[in-house]
Amino acid sequence: MIPILGLIAGIILGLILEPGVPPFLQPYLPIAIVAAMDALFGAFRAYLEGTFTDKVFVVSFISNVLIAAAIVYVGDQIGVGSQLSTGVVVVLGIRIFTNAAAIRRALFHA
Amino acid sequence: MDLLKQIAEHPIDPDYAVVAARQPDQRKRHTTRTRLAFAVIAVVIGALFTVAALQTTRSRPLVAKERDQLVARIKSAEANRTRLRDQADSLAAENARLRSTGLGNDAQAEKLRTQLSELESRTGAAAVVGPGLKIMVDDGTGKNQSGAQVTNQVLDVDLQVLVNGLWTAGAEAIQINGQRLTALTAIREAGQAITVNYHSLTPPYEIDAIGNPQTLQARLLETSAGPWWNALKQNQGMRYDVSQAEQLRLNGVPGLTVRTGRTR
Repeated sequence: MIPILGLIAGIILGLILEPGVPPFLQPYLPIAIVAAMDALFGAFRAYLEGTFTDKVFVVSFISNVLIAAAIVYVGDQIGVGSQLSTGVVVVLGIRIFTNAAAIRRALFHA
Repeated sequence: MDLLKQIAEHPIDPDYAVVAARQPDQRKRHTTRTRLAFAVIAVVIGALFTVAALQTTRSRPLVAKERDQLVARIKSAEANRTRLRDQADSLAAENARLRSTGLGNDAQAEKLRTQLSELESRTGAAAVVGPGLKIMVDDGTGKNQSGAQVTNQVLDVDLQVLVNGLWTAGAEAIQINGQRLTALTAIREAGQAITVNYHSLTPPYEIDAIGNPQTLQARLLETSAGPWWNALKQNQGMRYDVSQAEQLRLNGVPGLTVRTGRTR
């Protein structure tokens, strides 16, 4: 219940406040979102398997976002920023798909 | 490959399993503090999605608008430049008229007037008419080593060599695509285009040269421009057509001034 209410509250807050993103953070926003999606799907699968823990979720989300942003930042500094973001998206994308498939199997047994 | 296999086989954070094994009782794993952190993270994720979505949808029309504004500014600057050039042309014509009336009618004035017009045609300030050569030059198409079709572009160097050859052959006045070569003209590559008198030219290039029609073409062949351009024509497939012209009209570049230098 908490995550769904939280997500809805966040979306509404974003719509009402419309916070601007500082320009130096803009390249990291899409990466942060992909990392967040990975954390969300991982958490949901863990929840279905009965192993979910708030603390692990919070830590894994924050570390995922920070590491993904750090990789892109380093890539930007050495001139391969877009390639490294592609790499991050591919790796996290594979994880998201695998988790989504596991969730589907657990929910619908198909 | 092993890395990809690992990613696909362990898609969940392994800590979930570790913590679950350490504390089998579900309720013990959730304290109020971690619940709160969880809720905050959920809010943050929701806000992230909205902010990113808003950003992308809002910034797209903004970028297009900015581009349109820039295009409009370039257009107005170009129009302004054309207007100023026209104004300069008419002022220069007025100047010339006033000068020739102001000089009077005696023999010295007549001499000065001839000298002036001769200098003006030499430097490229005045328009000139006369017989000469019309040379058409254009990019060629050919095949590179792997056999693919490529465009062989005319470079600024090619035009420079041709123009230098024409001067050597005795040309008195030259213009490229209507841009008269003056004492202050440079032929250079700027971006993708060749620029003459700060005007970007588009191929094909028409080089008009006024000079002695009997000797100009033959002497051009003897300069370095002749072999250079024959080689370009044969090897690169470029267009290089030289023809005699009875009467060529060359533009002048009015307002040709030396600002820092002084006549000695």
